Amino acid sequence: MIYFIIRRLIMTVFLLLLVSMITFAIFFLVPRLAGQTAYQLAAQYVGRNPIPSEIKAVEVKLGLNAPLYLQYGRYIKGIVAGIHYNNGTDISYCPFPCFGYSFRNQQPVWPQLISDAPVTLSIAVGAAVLWLIGGVSIGVLSALRRGSFFDRLSMGVALAGVSLPVFFTGLIALELFSYHWPIFPNVHYVPITENPLLWARNLILPWVTLAFLYAALYARLTRAGMLETMGEDYIRTARAKGLAERKVVVKHGLRAALTPIVTIFGLDLGLLLGGAILTETTFSFPGLGQFTILAIQNQDLPEIMGVVMIASFFIVIANMIVDILYAVVDPRVRF
Amino acid sequence: MKRRSIIAATAVGAMSALLISACSSSTSSSGSSTTPTTGAVAFNAGISSVVNPSSTKGGTLTFDVRGTPDSFDPGNTYYAWVLDFDHLFTMPLFGYKSCPGSCGLQLVPDLATDMGTTSDNGLTWTFHIQPDVKFENGTVVNSQDVKYAIERTYDRSVMANGPTYYQALLTDPTYPGPYKDRSKNLMGLTAVDTPNATTLVFHLQAPFPDLPYVLAFPNTAPVLPSADTGSNYQLHPLSTGPYMFKSYTLNKQLVMVDNPNWNPATDPNAKQLATQIIVNMNVNQADIDNNLIAGNADIDAYGAGVGPAAQARILGSSSLKANADNPVNGFARFVYINTKVAPLTNLHCREAVEYAANKTTMQTSWGGPVAGGAIASTIMPPVIIGYKSFDYYNALTQPAGDVTAAKQQLAMCGQPNGFTTNMAYRDDNPQETAEATALQASLGAVGIKLTLKGFPSGPYYTNFAGDPAYVHAHDIGLAGGGWGADWPDGYGFLDELLNGNAIAATGNTNISEINDPVINNLFTESSKLTGDARTAIWSQIDEQAMKDAVILPAVYQKTLLYRNAATTNVYVQAYYGMYNYAVMGVSS
Repeated sequence: MIYFIIRRLIMTVFLLLLVSMITFAIFFLVPRLAGQTAYQLAAQYVGRNPIPSEIKAVEVKLGLNAPLYLQYGRYIKGIVAGIHYNNGTDISYCPFPCFGYSFRNQQPVWPQLISDAPVTLSIAVGAAVLWLIGGVSIGVLSALRRGSFFDRLSMGVALAGVSLPVFFTGLIALELFSYHWPIFPNVHYVPITENPLLWARNLILPWVTLAFLYAALYARLTRAGMLETMGEDYIRTARAKGLAERKVVVKHGLRAALTPIVTIFGLDLGLLLGGAILTETTFSFPGLGQFTILAIQNQDLPEIMGVVMIASFFIVIANMIVDILYAVVDPRVRF
Repeated sequence: MKRRSIIAATAVGAMSALLISACSSSTSSSGSSTTPTTGAVAFNAGISSVVNPSSTKGGTLTFDVRGTPDSFDPGNTYYAWVLDFDHLFTMPLFGYKSCPGSCGLQLVPDLATDMGTTSDNGLTWTFHIQPDVKFENGTVVNSQDVKYAIERTYDRSVMANGPTYYQALLTDPTYPGPYKDRSKNLMGLTAVDTPNATTLVFHLQAPFPDLPYVLAFPNTAPVLPSADTGSNYQLHPLSTGPYMFKSYTLNKQLVMVDNPNWNPATDPNAKQLATQIIVNMNVNQADIDNNLIAGNADIDAYGAGVGPAAQARILGSSSLKANADNPVNGFARFVYINTKVAPLTNLHCREAVEYAANKTTMQTSWGGPVAGGAIASTIMPPVIIGYKSFDYYNALTQPAGDVTAAKQQLAMCGQPNGFTTNMAYRDDNPQETAEATALQASLGAVGIKLTLKGFPSGPYYTNFAGDPAYVHAHDIGLAGGGWGADWPDGYGFLDELLNGNAIAATGNTNISEINDPVINNLFTESSKLTGDARTAIWSQIDEQAMKDAVILPAVYQKTLLYRNAATTNVYVQAYYGMYNYAVMGVSS
């Protein structure tokens, strides 16, 4: 198992390096191939009515005048060893892992990512717990009571959940439960370190909104998986052996049906940790999703690079954890 | 120098605001000093009077804002709301008198003691600053701190966002800024002398009577050289205003508290009523509107008005409406008519466009009479000093378009059946897109066939509408646009739009390419005049440009602002077109 994990960790590093190369190429190489010069790129970050010498100064300061391979090398060096940058009055050190500094606000990217990550983490993990428990439970019950009123109702609600976007359900939730009936008034992010109760109270609506979407999906997946599994011969055998129905369902039915759920859960959670863009925007929570939108709006390349790298990191790590769990659930995967 | 785009509108400094009715009913001339009136809580009460006047100290004043500031470094900002907000922690040389109505257009000394004196035929300006203003750390402000604040703006690699007037106006335009070689360049700007601790002498390349307006930008707020942290200064600028930074999480939340070294006697245009000020950033507009109505937030700092859902809700409720104001601000929406693209080279063809356009559908495109604006018949909006009302093309009397007059002009132009031309517009701006479509329909009614050419906002003025070579090569006769001035007089509004000198090969602001000697001479004349004589020139230029039919006015922009009922001392500051943040308090 240890070798398996080490192997996956090494692969993860290579994968992230590959992502960094591709991302860097998309934002720095492709425009150049399309004819954009470093001077033109620098002109985007020098404000209004600049004279050529001012653009040139910005080009030099941002390092855009260097060959691309050197720029990339500098970027990677910053991530693994930190880097110095000029803030005007003196030279500041941006320590490991420095993802460069913003072309717009001239602040290091990493501290901004780190400051936003807890918000996204709070939303994603809380919602994930809700949707996993809710979705899987409903899926199991629906499968066991196939064709019943509960099954039809829950699958109907699940269909609505899958169909309704977060920005719609979120706004409805806010309108109803924050403004019309102020059960959760003035929803805004409060750090857990500041006030755990307020943290949770303010996150309930985002959690429920996000979980509604995913729980619906998971309920349908679980139901389909359970229906298939519960029809297998070994389930019949288990029942024939006289095992309690609960044991048959949980140990033999659900465990087998969970394999695809674990896979998709890892991917979903990894994606969300990179930024729950719609949820954060709807509830005005300052997480990685909002950071991403701002970075794109400002065409702030280092910030975009940073958020892509952190999102990739979460996805790759989530996948690795899924693979490890797979190995636990199904030992054949280890070999 | 000025800007012109919807982005610029938000990023730009100077906005003036006033309700048309307030303008027309006011007997005081612009710039006159009046005692602020107090008004009951009512719709539009905040435009001409102080709503909820109070001197009670206490409470937390909460601002929500969509997006983020360009920077809280006073030397590195151009966003309108930040220029307004900066007065809570800065004292520039000049400011706009804190009062409602047209009084709020009056430029007054802030850190300076008077409006300055000129000599050397207007090439030298001398200003004195107050001797007893202190930074938040107790250090007394001196003239070198102001000079240093100006020096910083010269380094665009650190200060990219702010205006760039100093390089254009002052001698020593190649000064590199104080950062590159600090030992050599600190206090190295030769265009500004500091003969003593309270005197500043500015040397200009050419006479420029509007210099005090330029010095009203927050980039003249003093910066202590030893406290300057370059690009990090935005995280904690050293305050000279009533509040100072307590904490600032970049682009998320700012918390400010009382500045113990602020003396109200030195800063009559600001107050220190709330004990704490919080700015929540990146809040979406729907949330902001709901928070304001629910009382969770006090003011929408962005100042561009509530969103469509809240508009309907506020206007449909008498109690909510009483907490709203609907001012005209200093921004105008219009369509440039190019004088170098045939057949619009002919005055009568341009006049046909002016007559045929349906101003009502254009107004609807911009959001209607409340959220869009009032139908315009002039280039300058009513809130600009020097504005005069006239209506050469029946925009106000026949807003649906004067088809008869348009056809007469087409006949005189030699195109009795109409003609074909192209119109550029920003296709990522839904309102401008709607305007182009509406104009296409109304011009089509008289035979003018408009082919619409959509472009992205980013390079719109650099690569397309603002590039005369591109415009000529692609027969772009009309181009959508808008404009807000950096300061509220006719020069600030009209110079870049209509002066023949402003025609440039790229980034052109005179998109009509009007090079009328009459207009050019009036601009030249204006630099030799002051006072009422100078003010009178602006309407002459506006009228001449409308006679030349080089701009098709659409609307004088309006916004629907909402004030939380708990806020005190609330009114629209005419210069900004939004509430005056420097004087507000909160009752609970």
